[in-house]
Amino acid sequence: MTRDVTAELLVLRKRAATWILLGIWTLLGVFFAYVVPYALDPEDAPGGVEQFFPDSLAGTLLVGFPFFGGVFALMLGVFALGSEYGWGTLKTLFTQRPGRLRVLAAKLAALAIVLVPFVLALFAAGAVASYVIAQIEDAPIGWPSAWLLVRAIAAGWLILAVWAALGVLLGVLTRGTSLAIGVGILYALVIEGLLSAFADSVSVLEPLTNLFLRSNGYSIATTLGASPQEIESNGPGSFSGPFVDSPQALAVLAALLAAFAALSGLLLRRRDVT
Amino acid sequence: MNGREDLAIETRALTKRYGDSIVAVDDLDLGVRRGEVYGFLGPNGAGKTTTLRMLLGLVRPTSGRAAVLGVPPGAPQGLARIGAMVEAPAFYPYLSGRDNLLVLAGHAGVAEDRVAAVLDEVGLLDRAADRSATYSQGMRQRLGVAAALLKDPELLILDEPTNGLDPAGMADMRDFIRSLGQGGRTVMLSSHLMGEVEQVTDRVGVISDGSLVAEGTVDELRGRAGLRVRAEPHAEAARLIRALPEVDEVTSVDGLLDVTVDSSRAPAINRLLVEAGVAVWELYAQQASLEHVFLELTRSGGEPA
Repeated sequence: MTRDVTAELLVLRKRAATWILLGIWTLLGVFFAYVVPYALDPEDAPGGVEQFFPDSLAGTLLVGFPFFGGVFALMLGVFALGSEYGWGTLKTLFTQRPGRLRVLAAKLAALAIVLVPFVLALFAAGAVASYVIAQIEDAPIGWPSAWLLVRAIAAGWLILAVWAALGVLLGVLTRGTSLAIGVGILYALVIEGLLSAFADSVSVLEPLTNLFLRSNGYSIATTLGASPQEIESNGPGSFSGPFVDSPQALAVLAALLAAFAALSGLLLRRRDVT
Repeated sequence: MNGREDLAIETRALTKRYGDSIVAVDDLDLGVRRGEVYGFLGPNGAGKTTTLRMLLGLVRPTSGRAAVLGVPPGAPQGLARIGAMVEAPAFYPYLSGRDNLLVLAGHAGVAEDRVAAVLDEVGLLDRAADRSATYSQGMRQRLGVAAALLKDPELLILDEPTNGLDPAGMADMRDFIRSLGQGGRTVMLSSHLMGEVEQVTDRVGVISDGSLVAEGTVDELRGRAGLRVRAEPHAEAARLIRALPEVDEVTSVDGLLDVTVDSSRAPAINRLLVEAGVAVWELYAQQASLEHVFLELTRSGGEPA
């Protein structure tokens, strides 16, 4: 299995799209978390100017994961499987030795590994940005505890991993990339976004929203320092609650991750490769 | 289905339907012997590629059974011993030829030093570092063959391997396939090119409209050699030849007589005609070309006209 994963890492590592997504995600992540709100009116930010200081790093950055980061991870997942249909490489892979599920497992494992630098790069860039802002504001430099950082990084990774798994599923389902990305973004914006917005006034929707990636992702983010006010004012990715407790959010995200992977496996195993 | 020991590929009533109306492969019984180069002939759309996909486990049969190297199609223990190139070879366009093969070697569990060996074997070593998107059609075909050879397989399944090659490339590929078939390796070669199959294969199966319409050696398919005779008077020559007990059939075509008889009888027939006062202008052995047989088989659905 190690060699299968190594092979898939080569496929992802040498693909320009991986690096382009990493670069854009990191730049825009810092831009929207620090540069824009600080440049506009830092005092007017939900967490005040302190939101931009290093000790708020985990919470400030995690706000960007459940929606904005999710779309990037979704694309990465779609590319990982959907492109194989377009290039016809799936049939080449499936005529090697390992079997379809092992190929999928290797692809998922490689994706999981590639998501680590996605999270780390944003945290590193965010740390630099917050340090610079603290220097500008002449504020004392205080960093979050290592334990909080580890948990925040792990939570960010889990949120991205679930979105990437959804991307894989959509790539397999539509046997391509374009429709999969379209459907994925539609889901993120319209299904999760609109239904979450209506959940406040339509109580029957509330149990449904508890299963959304957005509500569970933001719920974890709030337990790690993200401000609910900031989440509520997060543009198209905004969420006004209700938030669920951390164990429930973790369990739902883990279950969704497993379900997306299992469904992808089921489809890959059953369907003809033409 | 475990399959017969002497057969590398065996199918029984293998069928693939798409919906209610399309029957891509219909009740196919096929037997490819171990160590032979088997030509799988058929016109475009006859069901060749669908059959190959079923043999590789890419497509599930609607009904029927198959065994490839003694195991069901798509089983990892079988795939480990099979090299395949189905339709156009497919590779990651942004990866080099070498990296593409490294990815496949990783999945196949093949030692990485095999990559350089097979690239050398197909003559691509000097372009191995270039992105596969920059390869010509012929180079992609060769990279496809290199990928199929990675596992040093017992069974090679090649679908139209000379597609897109220029005449020199086709000749090289034919020589290459012939060499691959030596040393006990089984090769199943799908093609619609008669010359390719005639020159390379030991036995041939002809598929038409999803059904196997003929199977045998090239000579068997071409049928018995006969004689062609041009003699005067024509009717007298036909009467004399028809009277011979060893002659199966005499047909008259454009002033010539096509005689179905063992071609070794040519001297005796010549002598008979000359002694009877018939002027013999031409008398020569002839055998139907594989192309002629193929066209007859695929037009008539199995019954040579």
